Amino acid sequence: MAGKTSSHRAALERQNAAIMAVFERAGFDQIAPDIIQPADIFLERSGEDIRARTFVFNDPAGNELCLRPDLTVPACRYHLSHTKTPEAETKYCYLGPAFRFPDELLSPQEFTQAGLEWFGDKADIAAEARVIKLAVSALEAAGLTGLKVSLGDLGLFNALLDDMPMPERWRRRLRHQFWRPQAFRNLLETFAKPARTIRSSISGNIDALEGQDAVAETSWMLADQKLNLVTLRSVEDIAARLHEKLADRSEQPLAETMVVAIESYLKVSGALTEISSQLKAISKTPRFLGAIDKFEQRIAALEDQGLNPRRFHFSADFGRELEYYTGLVFQIDVEARNAPLSVAGGGRYDRLLQDLGAVISIPAVGCAIHTDRLLAVMS
Amino acid sequence: MTLLTIAIPSKGRLMEQANELFERAGLKIERYGTDRGYRGRLIGTDNIEVAFLSASEIAAQLRDGKIDAGITGEDLLRETIAPGNDVADVALRLNFGPADVVVAVPECWLDVAVMADLDDVAEQFYATHGRRLRVATKYLNLTRRFFAEKGITGYRIVESLGATEGAPATGTAELIVDITTSGATLKANQLRILDDGLILASCAVFAVNKHSAQLENMRNLMGLLGRAVVA
Repeated sequence: MAGKTSSHRAALERQNAAIMAVFERAGFDQIAPDIIQPADIFLERSGEDIRARTFVFNDPAGNELCLRPDLTVPACRYHLSHTKTPEAETKYCYLGPAFRFPDELLSPQEFTQAGLEWFGDKADIAAEARVIKLAVSALEAAGLTGLKVSLGDLGLFNALLDDMPMPERWRRRLRHQFWRPQAFRNLLETFAKPARTIRSSISGNIDALEGQDAVAETSWMLADQKLNLVTLRSVEDIAARLHEKLADRSEQPLAETMVVAIESYLKVSGALTEISSQLKAISKTPRFLGAIDKFEQRIAALEDQGLNPRRFHFSADFGRELEYYTGLVFQIDVEARNAPLSVAGGGRYDRLLQDLGAVISIPAVGCAIHTDRLLAVMS
Repeated sequence: MTLLTIAIPSKGRLMEQANELFERAGLKIERYGTDRGYRGRLIGTDNIEVAFLSASEIAAQLRDGKIDAGITGEDLLRETIAPGNDVADVALRLNFGPADVVVAVPECWLDVAVMADLDDVAEQFYATHGRRLRVATKYLNLTRRFFAEKGITGYRIVESLGATEGAPATGTAELIVDITTSGATLKANQLRILDDGLILASCAVFAVNKHSAQLENMRNLMGLLGRAVVA
């Protein structure tokens, strides 16, 4: 379309002014993070799928730069470079362009994102409910009606796994694959089968470790096959994984009841207020019950914010595409002509600031609104 | 009758085998002007011109709809034309120029057999070194698609325009996606194909523009070539 008309631009600006007024009234300080960002920071965090959608270029010195594909990471970098005490509670909001190669209908390659980030929040459930409330209020201030809020909660899934007897490394791998339904299912199947029935091209290497010191045996195999050690992976790294695979062989396969519990958990879905009973039917183990308790507090916290959780939708496998997040994930959709369209999303991402250089882990929760899409669905 | 342009490789073994195919089909390629000319025509058919281009240029021109058909490697075709973009597709597999596009890791990675291992290693590598595994390849799209299918995201592509198999040893990448016929080059560089690391079993193909495939002289040509393919 080669740009916006005067009236389109004015309508977008009016809408976004209404959104930002909600954020600023709530005490969020409006900042303007850089549009041009070092590419590595996004690409190392997000991997190749985001890279494929990011505008990357080089400066004359050969450094890789990019146009920001999102504002959360730039806001985190802003925070870390502007304060000596990044753990102190800080509330930011922002409005500005982000850039991505389009991958779907109604997704322009440059779009304006409005959002907020709340770093170092203390009462986590209350802060999360507040962020959802602000996102809803901002959308309503922009004139939107009939929005639908969907939630997921990684805390429940983690608690369910924590209560199940299995090696910690299995839990780690299941958590890691939570985001990828197909890979997750394959992994679950692998753990449910006796490990010695699985043979591959490295089974011989695992056999060789039996009764041996893992590192010594691995060094010996490398020397015996005259293999050069290349890449940063050390003999110890390689030996440790071989040793894990050997240990897996003597583990009890994951009990059928646990496989069923995990699978039924991932199918849990419904109105937020009707989820507790579904969850309790799956497992009554202590940490999981604790997570359910926290979930019920979440419902109360949403009510405290004047929201109606009966109209919110919970889905256990929700947010499987959003690897960023560490706890709550939410998305706000609007019924559009053909299918529901997502106009806002957010959640908790407690590891991101540390990942970007903070010395300690700092809690963080935030949300972002896709303002162009919002204007499009309302007109 | 519409004048059609088909492209055939301008050099190398692929060119020789393409010429043999046309001979078996009873067709002769006549170059305009000197032997070095880049255009010619196909004697024995109606209104078909020949362009001599590099195999990768043929794939690009098929994507852009600039030629009606061409002989190129399936690897280049799949790399250049995204699935779902049906501007041109394989009409005939020609059963020459076989080559596999594969994922290969350093042989010293004694603990890595399958793509799922790679995902696990990628996660630990990031935790230890704070950066992603790097994959050296010239097949950016094939790699992205295959890794996405396998649910692997924790990696980066380093574009490589030659001697890809040397990347792990020289430290510019940890693993590679490359083409192999006998596996000898991989072996010589101490690289091993993952058990489930076959991305594409490629061979030379005759690919045709979707609209051109309906035309009578193209249908005749496809018939002649089809009968000349050696099983």
